[in-house]
Amino acid sequence: MTALLQTRILTVLVFLPSAAAALLLLFPRSRSREAKIFAIGASLVELALALPLWSRLDLHSGTFQFTETTSWVPALGITYSLGMDGISLLLVLLTVLLTPVSLLFSLNHVEKSARAFSIAFLVLETGMVGTLVALDLALFYVFWEVMLVPMYFIIGVWGGGRRIYAAMKFFLFTMAGSLLMFLAILYLAIRYRAVTGRWSFLLSDLVTLSFPTMAVQTLLFAAFALAFAIKVPVFPLHTWLPDAHTEAPTAGSILLAGVLLKLGIYGYLRFALPLFPDAAMRYAPWLGILGIIGVVYGAFVAYAQRDMKRLVAYSSVSHLGLIVIGIGAFTSAAVTGSVLQMINHGLSTGALFLLVGVLYERTHTREIADYGGIAGAVPVTTALFLVATFSSIGLPGLNGFVGEFLILLGTWTSVHRWWAVAAATGVILSAIYMLSLVQRVFWNPVTREENRRLPEIRPTEAIGALALVVVMVWIGVRPNDFLDRVRPSVEQLRRSVATRKVATTSSWPSRALRVRSGQAPRGIPQEIAR
Amino acid sequence: MTPSFLALGPNDLAAAWPEISLAVAGCLVILLDAFAPSSRRSFATLSLAAIAVSMWFLVTAPAGLSFSGRYETSDLTAAAGLFAGATAAIAILTARPYLERVGQAKGEFYALLLWGHLGVLLLTRGLDLLVVFIGLETLSLSFYVLAAFFRGIGASSEAGLKYFLTGAFGSAFTLYGIALLFGKSGSVRIAALSRPDLAADPLVAFGLLLLLVGFGFKMSLAPFHAWAPDVYQGMPTPAVAYLSVAPKGASLIVLYRVLTAVFQTGMPDRFRTAIAALAILSMSLGNVVALAQRDIKRLLAYSGIAHMGYVTIALAVFGRDALAAVIVYFFAYVVSNAGAFAAVAALYRDETKPHPVGLLAGEGLRSPFAAGVLALCLFSLAGIPATAGFIGKFFVFKSAIEQGLYALAVIGVVNSLVSIGYYLKVVYVLYMRDPVDEEGPPALAASDRLVLGLCAAGILGLGVFPAGLWNLARRAAASLPFGP
Repeated sequence: MTALLQTRILTVLVFLPSAAAALLLLFPRSRSREAKIFAIGASLVELALALPLWSRLDLHSGTFQFTETTSWVPALGITYSLGMDGISLLLVLLTVLLTPVSLLFSLNHVEKSARAFSIAFLVLETGMVGTLVALDLALFYVFWEVMLVPMYFIIGVWGGGRRIYAAMKFFLFTMAGSLLMFLAILYLAIRYRAVTGRWSFLLSDLVTLSFPTMAVQTLLFAAFALAFAIKVPVFPLHTWLPDAHTEAPTAGSILLAGVLLKLGIYGYLRFALPLFPDAAMRYAPWLGILGIIGVVYGAFVAYAQRDMKRLVAYSSVSHLGLIVIGIGAFTSAAVTGSVLQMINHGLSTGALFLLVGVLYERTHTREIADYGGIAGAVPVTTALFLVATFSSIGLPGLNGFVGEFLILLGTWTSVHRWWAVAAATGVILSAIYMLSLVQRVFWNPVTREENRRLPEIRPTEAIGALALVVVMVWIGVRPNDFLDRVRPSVEQLRRSVATRKVATTSSWPSRALRVRSGQAPRGIPQEIAR
Repeated sequence: MTPSFLALGPNDLAAAWPEISLAVAGCLVILLDAFAPSSRRSFATLSLAAIAVSMWFLVTAPAGLSFSGRYETSDLTAAAGLFAGATAAIAILTARPYLERVGQAKGEFYALLLWGHLGVLLLTRGLDLLVVFIGLETLSLSFYVLAAFFRGIGASSEAGLKYFLTGAFGSAFTLYGIALLFGKSGSVRIAALSRPDLAADPLVAFGLLLLLVGFGFKMSLAPFHAWAPDVYQGMPTPAVAYLSVAPKGASLIVLYRVLTAVFQTGMPDRFRTAIAALAILSMSLGNVVALAQRDIKRLLAYSGIAHMGYVTIALAVFGRDALAAVIVYFFAYVVSNAGAFAAVAALYRDETKPHPVGLLAGEGLRSPFAAGVLALCLFSLAGIPATAGFIGKFFVFKSAIEQGLYALAVIGVVNSLVSIGYYLKVVYVLYMRDPVDEEGPPALAASDRLVLGLCAAGILGLGVFPAGLWNLARRAAASLPFGP
């Protein structure tokens, strides 16, 4: 058993939730509370198993660790290949933290077929963790798509009034992007075979490919980028997000905003950048501009919302825009900040959705106008909400500040200096709409008498929120604990991007396969190094 | 001098045992039905045994040619026999409780199904266009009758008549095509078509096009698809489970066999364009029209038209790996599509009425097993990863990209996206609406449970571990003589 945890820890992490889900099928359907407690237990075991990776990760190496490879479809070179670097470590930890938090929240709230609800969450956890540790593109694609099915059911079965529409939109939007990525993956593998004579879907093999023309690389990059941009979502593709977030049950929103959105950014960093560095660098300005539009547009639309959940959803559009700007700027500080900001956003938005859910379960309304002055009735909820808000708007001392500061700094020192100006307005705007939300919900005069007797947050709900707050403070006070884990992987990533893939001078046979010499080329092109 | 067709050697007999066992079992069922009606309860078991025996003979028969080169036993025929036999087994297991529910537990059903299956085996094994045609007619005649099996129900009679008329029309095309090929090559043997001068002959091309039309009818490939929705709607659902899979696979194998014989140096571009056009039309029309369907059997019929479009991509690609992709696709299609029809058969109570999707409302909670398997089948048909359906599409699109047919692959995935719209609509009705029908579906019979469980296991098993199936398909595809 301990040997398994030593050598195949990632497999255990990926499939433990599914195994628990399979066991849940054996539960009688009437035993809904037991089923929920079992699921919480399984997700806590998962968390306990994942935590040691925090210290096991080698901080001096940006490469993949805890790797394991097993042949899956030998005839096509498809492997079951897993590995983890600092970026995926933090995201996996975020995932295994948010899953028990959302399940704990649902303990007293989900009545309808609770067993199926728990199964959906556990299967979703397998999909999320699998996506984060897969190093084979075929395997990655399988996890990436499998995630959709439980989320479709979570929104569609347990969601709010327009849940059917929201679930369908979520599924179709995400699928639309990923199907073209699927063809692009096939093309890469087939090209690899044409060039080297053997099949492989491994990321480490496919990044050595070069492309006949820039146009080919651009098209393939576009297929990948579209899939990831829809998931993030980047500005014009974001319309599924407010619907899905608003209609999803609270627990679903927590994971959707906390983890699923990050997978878009993660996929971009892990796959699109190293596979298509030339195209990625050429179109990075567009990415940055779309990020800027997302930041400003998301902030204004968030300010205009009357529905708390929709407000938080649009705030995600704005915050993820900021992360996209950081990725587009591509300096060391900006990318590191973006990665940290992914975690920060997962924590703060997860907490905000959870607390909005707490209020909703008591009043069954999400209209901001139906609240006002409830701070007196629910002081603990108010305090937690305030901390989450401060984290979200980047108050120094909490996690959001570190991430936003690094992104702004990194963007300012990049060639796209003026982006930082736009990004900074987003930070200011987020303070406006979030504080105005707090003002209207918790402080203003009481407008409804029944709100004076609003029941306080329950322990099962508070534990989750508290756990998130602890991590927020931790990142805020000791950010280097986290940055030290991210930085080597970011440097590794930047080195791999520095290798150009479209040769302009060499003739065809040599340019067909230009395996990178060694690991790190000495000279990093100027515009990236700055 | 070539030996006459009737000179039967012992090897010939050994090669024909799979068909003989089916024919005999069919006759036995009919006779028992007439003279020992009390044995009706064991017809399904008897038929299953016949299918199993026939599959065993087919797989263990020594590879090679028989009936003086008119009949083939190879990895390809074994693979085709396996997926066709599996479809027949699904149909029979589903039919048993189904026929009892509607009070029509007659022997004819099983006998006709066995004989139809015999026709499919002839199609996949015949190396002589007349043997192929006899197989086609054996299959068709059996299923004309099966379509009209519920004599008392108008829709079923309508289905029988429609299938007969369009089927006869299609057969005429096939026969005319065979006549043209015979006229040019001087022989009905497929091998006789492998003459270098024939590949560029316009009359041969016309004959091949006629064959494409004739088998296009059988495959319900657009624009030859019009019969499928009406026939599926009126035909007993277990028979549809068979008709919607096995004959289509057999038809594609026949087309592959003939085309590999003629085009030894690769398929001419004009021909490839024609096939690609059929594929695109079939995918697009099937998927778009399926979006508007309210009857589950019609919806699955249009979904089937679309799926034949996807798999026809692999015919346009034309190559060994593409044929292997066809075989993988049909194995996946057996468990997903026949499984979906098996679930539909188990979920509807009244066979005298149509099968509106709305009637499935809330079954996800009320009949979790059957509804769960139906949802899984639909996800598989939609091509979600980790299901068999994804594996089928994976290999088809892979073969298209390998051949440089990027447009076909892109149109294929765009169509997959459209198809998700109507598959998810059914899933939504199953899980996200409250029941409308007080009575609900009939209790699930043991054989329903078995067949649905097997299909679900097949979908996930093939979806997660496709390596074995791919190797089998590659071996099977090596049986055809592809050019360099």
